[in-house]
Parts: sequence; structure tokens; C-alpha cells
Amino acid sequence: MSLAILDAREWQQTVDLRTGQPREASGPLVDMVAGLVGRRPYPGDRDATCNDWVADVALELVERYAPRFAFLSFSEQFYSLRHSPLTKAEEQARIDGAFAAVERFARESGFTVVVVGTGELVPAAVPVDLEGLDGLAVSSNWCAHYAGLYDASAADLEKLANHPAIAHVAAKADILSLFGGSQADGERLPEHMVAVKEGHYLKGTSLRRLYKIPQPSPVIPVSTKLGPVASLTDIRPALLKLLRTDKVALALVEGVGCRQFPLPYQTCANGRGWFAYEPGDGQFLAISKGQHSIFEHNGGYRYYQDDTDDKAYPYSGFFSEMPTGTIGEAIAERSIAVGNRSMFMHMLTGCDIACECFARNLYNQGVMAVIHRQDKYAGK
Amino acid sequence: MIRCDVCERRCPLGPDTYGYCRMYHAPRGQVEERFPDRWCAYATARMETIPFYHAWPGARCLVVGTAGCNFDCRYCANAEVVKVDPAGQQDVMLDVSPEDLVAVARKRGCRAIVFSVNEPTVSLPTLERVAAVAKTAGLVMGCLTNGYATPEGTARLGAILDCVNVSLKGLSPEFCRDYLGVPDVGPILRNIKDLARTTHVEVTTPVIEGINSHELGEMVDFLAGVGPDVPWHAFRLLPEYKMRQEDYPSVAAVGAQVEAAARGKLNYVYFHNFIGSRWVNTLCPGCGEAVIERHSLGCGGDRLQAVHLDGGACPRCGEAVALRGDIDPATAKEACS
Ligand code: SF4
Repeated sequence: MSLAILDAREWQQTVDLRTGQPREASGPLVDMVAGLVGRRPYPGDRDATCNDWVADVALELVERYAPRFAFLSFSEQFYSLRHSPLTKAEEQARIDGAFAAVERFARESGFTVVVVGTGELVPAAVPVDLEGLDGLAVSSNWCAHYAGLYDASAADLEKLANHPAIAHVAAKADILSLFGGSQADGERLPEHMVAVKEGHYLKGTSLRRLYKIPQPSPVIPVSTKLGPVASLTDIRPALLKLLRTDKVALALVEGVGCRQFPLPYQTCANGRGWFAYEPGDGQFLAISKGQHSIFEHNGGYRYYQDDTDDKAYPYSGFFSEMPTGTIGEAIAERSIAVGNRSMFMHMLTGCDIACECFARNLYNQGVMAVIHRQDKYAGK
Repeated sequence: MIRCDVCERRCPLGPDTYGYCRMYHAPRGQVEERFPDRWCAYATARMETIPFYHAWPGARCLVVGTAGCNFDCRYCANAEVVKVDPAGQQDVMLDVSPEDLVAVARKRGCRAIVFSVNEPTVSLPTLERVAAVAKTAGLVMGCLTNGYATPEGTARLGAILDCVNVSLKGLSPEFCRDYLGVPDVGPILRNIKDLARTTHVEVTTPVIEGINSHELGEMVDFLAGVGPDVPWHAFRLLPEYKMRQEDYPSVAAVGAQVEAAARGKLNYVYFHNFIGSRWVNTLCPGCGEAVIERHSLGCGGDRLQAVHLDGGACPRCGEAVALRGDIDPATAKEACS
């Protein structure tokens, strides 16, 4: 049973991750993790120390749990550039801060750190509203670039074809064909997927003004420590190979593309054909599994259909089942995940322990630590 | 110049005089909205997220909001939307007619439309137009409000809403002035009573340790006078906006104060707005059995988990549980299996 320790500052509740039911739990690992997250409250998504929180928690886990692999995400600059009106210098300071936190983790842990930029942010131009269609258009808070389209009429498709802000409309069959899926793989795909042009964004659920938005890039930067990778799905096998000789950390630095990447890098494909991943769950999962994940996670899925009273994993965002084939599962030695992208690190990394912020729409609720494996730890 | 009659600020309005909320003016000698049918966002959620715990449990709803507010709460959670000049927001607002908004709700399988991002009284005519279309479509209308409308404004809200969650934030004039930016709580208490006569009312109180926590007993006495079945949501304050640097209130301390204040006086008391709260289940007022279970994901994220009612009553002792509206069909199925 996977346990989740929910830390709301000076108050904790431990639950069964799958059911959400409270569980009395103790033991060397549970006590160690509960103590750690209790001592390290999350400062908030746009707080200047937010990326340092990731490095600090990861370093303490390295000290106490002695993992061989760490999956880290550094996202403060992603939130700040997206939702705060920053000057160029402030933007650069935020990005520099993220790389400084990565560098500090590398220096103090002794891990070989592979850094991936998840893609650049560009100025948000004009919101695109698709609610006037006959059919239903669905986008989500963190996916501003793609919308799912259901029950579209011929008039809708014609309107979209001539819409000045729409870059692409793909039918489900086209998506399946692009990614080599069968009909059975299309259950969570929308009937059509709509992609907007650069700078435009789909407005629907985001309350706050968007200043910058991810421009899903065909390629993303990967630090050259990893050796050659052609696609983001090649990162996993290369990491597993590197793990034979080194303790390895994968650091995803969000909202950073090739232009801002300060380290020596190579590029790898960030999708296929017309489809490129936005930073977020789908992209993280593709990296973790080493295979494209658009069938499982895409911005056009009618997410609210899963939000029922019997939903499994109530504290795991859109996930209602545990992904299989994650990188954490493939590593026999100890593994950790730490990140400030909330509510999915623990699902898509599959690492033994995951510590992540529990912030919803930037509202700081605290920290969630998930323990998937207790059997690798005898205390320290 | 005329006086706005929507909320108790009763601002002077003219062609270029917009009032405190900056959402109304009077270009033709009458109160008119400056930005009718303009929405900041809409999202699909469940009634529990608002929170409504005793109205249409589990029902899917379309959550909507506009811009502007008539309060100046120091801890406003939506300051980036409601504290900025609404005129400066118009480039990112959505222009959606009442008919289209109701169509969106229907396409998404929503049972209700709930106005909850900002204060609905600042967009009352728009809300009334939506309500008229929603009613013909058989949709429930709800809102979250600070309860500061005039009697006329409150009557207009009561006429169109099936459920209202009123925020009773504090009682003392000092608190109202320093934390909310209004002179006193009188209109809010009056409006809670008035609304409870015409529609389903739940009440929410964000608790700030040492600031309004000593008033909890007095608030409970007031609510018990309105009716012991009024559901009361005590919130652990999430320090936002001007209070961002303040400490989070202690769950243990505030929880104990809430429990002590409400014991034996109110039938449905909840303490939440933080992850993993244990105080989100509905307990039978007769025997204490958990008859509705929920998960708490913190602010705006509560979920219905299970319903154990037998014909609207406790299966153990038979005591009726106060609910407005039916339980979401999917939940009822789950409860019977
Ligand atoms: S609604 Fe209230 S704040 Fe807004 S103009 Fe009218 S009286 Fe003033």
C-alpha cells in the first residue's frame, strides 16, 4: 500500500494514497519522511526560495535515504513567468535561481545531474474562446495550447479551419496514426484536438492573468552529460545506462528552452510531427516511461468526468490509476522524487519516496510526501 | 449623480463615476453594469468545492466569476482577479451571453451554475440574466457572497438563487474596518436571516487565530438563532494578499475553538480549507454516525466520497439529515451498492 503524508503545516494526516482513507502508520521510513516534511514547509510556488526548497528536501533525502536515483523538478520560474509581470532582468534572475539550485544539489550531493529544459515560455497574446462552437471544447488550467473537441459540427470544423489563432485541428484517427496507437488506445483522446498558434492561448479555467505561456517546442535542451538522445523518450534508457556507474539525478527545469539554457546541451525531439508537449504531466510521463504518453494524458481530455466520488487516488490530481512502466519501477536501488509541480510527481516518477508541494492553482496547501516502497529502508 | 442600491456602500454613480467596485455606472440616470456578460473564467467542478455540503451533493457545476469586489479583505484569495481595475482586465475577459453560458454548462453535464470567484452583487444584472436562462434549462443557481447587499439587492439575489454560501468573516467593527474595509457586520447578519427565509444558506467563516477566533461563540449563537441546521464551514485561513507573510493558523488550536464554540448548538459543523482535514464528514445530528463522507484537498478542492443515507435519513437512528436537492445520481448508485 502506498502511503501519503499530507502536511498542512504543524498538522499532518497520513492516508492510503489509493483510497484517501486515514491510516495509522509508523516505522523508520514513515517517521523519517514525516519529520522531514514537517521541518520543511513549502514556501509557495512563486516564492524566491521555492527552488531552494526542492534542493534542500532532495539533499536531506540523499542524506537520510541514500538513493541512487533522484527525479527532481524545478518550477518556480515557470509559475512566476507565467503569472507575474516580471521585467527581463527579473525573469533572468528567476531562471538563474533555478539553475543555481540545481548546481547546489549537484555539488552537495555528488550526484551526476542531467538537466532538461522543458520548453520556453513566450508572451501571452490574446485568449482564444472556443465556447461559441456547437460542440464542446475542453482545455485545462495548465494546458493553454491544446483543447479537446467533442461533438464538433461541420460548421465548427470550418470555423476552426479559418480561425486566425488556430494552428492545427487533428482528428482522433490522425493522433492515433501519428503515435502508432490502435483504436483501443484512443479512449482518453478527444474526438479532435485543437492547437493554437504561438502566443495565443485557450482561456477557460485559469483565473489569473497569463503573462507568459509555454510554446510547445519541437525540441528541448538536454545537458550533454547524458550522451546522445534523439527524443525525450530516449532520456530514460540513457539515464538507466548512466546509473550503472553513477548516482544520477534528472533535473527538469521548467519553462526553459534552448535559448535560456546556460549549460552545454544537445536538443532532443519534444513530441512527434505537429504535436509537441507542453511542460507538465504528459511530458514528465513520456520522460519517465520512455514512451509517448499522449493516449494517457493530453490537455483535451474531459478531466471532470473522472472527478467522481469513487475516484481512486483522490489526492493525485487527474490520475485515477497508478501509471505502470515508470522509471522508478525500473530501478532496483533506492529512488526519490522531489518537485514543486504538485500532485503528479509521485504518480509519474514511480520513485520509492516522492516529496512535492501540495499547491492548487498556486494556493499553497502544504506538502505531500508519498511512500511507495518501505522495504528498501532499514533506518539511518 | 444617483446612489447605487445594490450593496450597502451605496456609492454615488454617474456617467463617469463608477463606485467602489468599479463595476457600475449611471450614464442614463439608472444603475447600469459597465461590463455585462464578461467573465473572467469558468471551470467545471463539484458542489463540494464551493463549498456546498448540503445542497445537491456531488452535483457537477460550472463555476463562474467576473471582476471586481465591494470589499477589501486583507486575505483575499483572488486578489489578482478582483483587486485590479476591471477596465484593465477586459482584454482577457470572455464575452459569453447567458444563453451560451447555460449551453456550456449543459454541454459539460453540469447540474448547476455557481458564481464564486468574486462577489456576485457587483454583476447582479448579468447574474439575473443567466439565472433566467438557467431556470428554463432546469439548472440550479448558486453563489458565494460576502452578504453585503442592500435589502433590495438581497431580495434580488434570493429570488434567483437556489443556494447561497454567505461569508460571515467577523463581528466587531474593528475587524470589519481593518480586515474587510467595511464599517460593520449589521447588513451581513440581516441578509443571512433574510436569505435563509427564501433559499438554502450555508455559512463560511475564515478563522484567523487571535483576530476573530474569540468571536466564534457569538457567531455560532447568531447562526443557531437563524436555525441549527444552517451548515457552518469554519475555514483555516489561507494567508494570501496582504497577509501572505503571516503564519498559517494552527489547525489544532482553531479546531478546538470551533468545536468548543459549536458543541450542542449547530447540527452541521465543518472545519476545513486545508489538505486532509478530518472535519469534513456530515455526522448524523441524532447519533453522530458519519452519513456523508468527503475528502478535503484544501481550498476549493473538497470531494464527495460516499453517502450512507437511507431516504435522506441516518441509516442507524433514522434522524433526517438537512439537504437541499437530490444527491448526484452517480453517488446515489454508489451509496446503494
Ligand atoms: S455594488 Fe456596492 S460597491 Fe459597487 S457601485 Fe454599487 S454600492 Fe458601490
